[in-house]
Amino acid sequence: MRPNSPPPFACWFLESVVPAPYREAMLGDLFEEYALRAESGSPLSASRWFWSQACRSVPSMVGSWLRRPDWLISMSIAIGVYIAMGTLKLAADLAISKLVAPRPMTEVVLAPVVFLATTSISGCIAARIRPGATIFLALMAMITVAVSIALKVCSIPVPWWYQFGFLTLGPLSVLLTPAVFWGGQTRC
Amino acid sequence: MIVRREIEERIGRNISIGAVYATLERLETKGYVSSFTGEPTPERGGRAKRMFRLEAAGKRALQVSEQTIRNMTAGLKSRWEGI
Repeated sequence: MRPNSPPPFACWFLESVVPAPYREAMLGDLFEEYALRAESGSPLSASRWFWSQACRSVPSMVGSWLRRPDWLISMSIAIGVYIAMGTLKLAADLAISKLVAPRPMTEVVLAPVVFLATTSISGCIAARIRPGATIFLALMAMITVAVSIALKVCSIPVPWWYQFGFLTLGPLSVLLTPAVFWGGQTRC
Repeated sequence: MIVRREIEERIGRNISIGAVYATLERLETKGYVSSFTGEPTPERGGRAKRMFRLEAAGKRALQVSEQTIRNMTAGLKSRWEGI
């Protein structure tokens, strides 16, 4: 990270969600304004501004992906990866529940590890096939967790932050892992 | 960046850069604006700037929109003052 360079995670996040035609220009604009804000104010407030821009841009970016003529292909790839990795995760969950059957707390500890590993690998596979598929996959992961929480799938009582962690870190790992591993051209 | 800043100054509200680029992309698809890429600069982290130009179709659409707004708002002030 160079001095006056924006938070790398926010950069990676944006590189994952912004469509290629204006990724460079948009990140360049943010980079330039971040540097100006960091010089005139504090780097912390500039980072906060950068993150707010990154998060607030997501709905427009999702809309932009959906307006593209090839969005159906990206969605199909996301569904394919979701089904394949979902099956593997179910198998892993079953194996874990059988292995640690009398110890539910071990299951509580292992579940997020398996979940994050699955979402990270899914994100990498989807990004390898088609970069645009990751945003759909992240949305699908978020919806799945939200539905699981609403239906109270987890029989073991867990605190709210545990569930919230699944809801946020799952989709984030789908988006960020490929950017971290294969974002060779990232200049954050 | 200039586009976003000008909109923010005019409406007095923070807007996301994603919303600006998504709108500009739609306008470009409709042929209202065209864009070209500038040279990468160090202050932008080595990234190129994208510049937008208003096209003739965009100018016509803008004139129609402005006239529509004028027609819609004509006489409103006199009604407010009466309340």
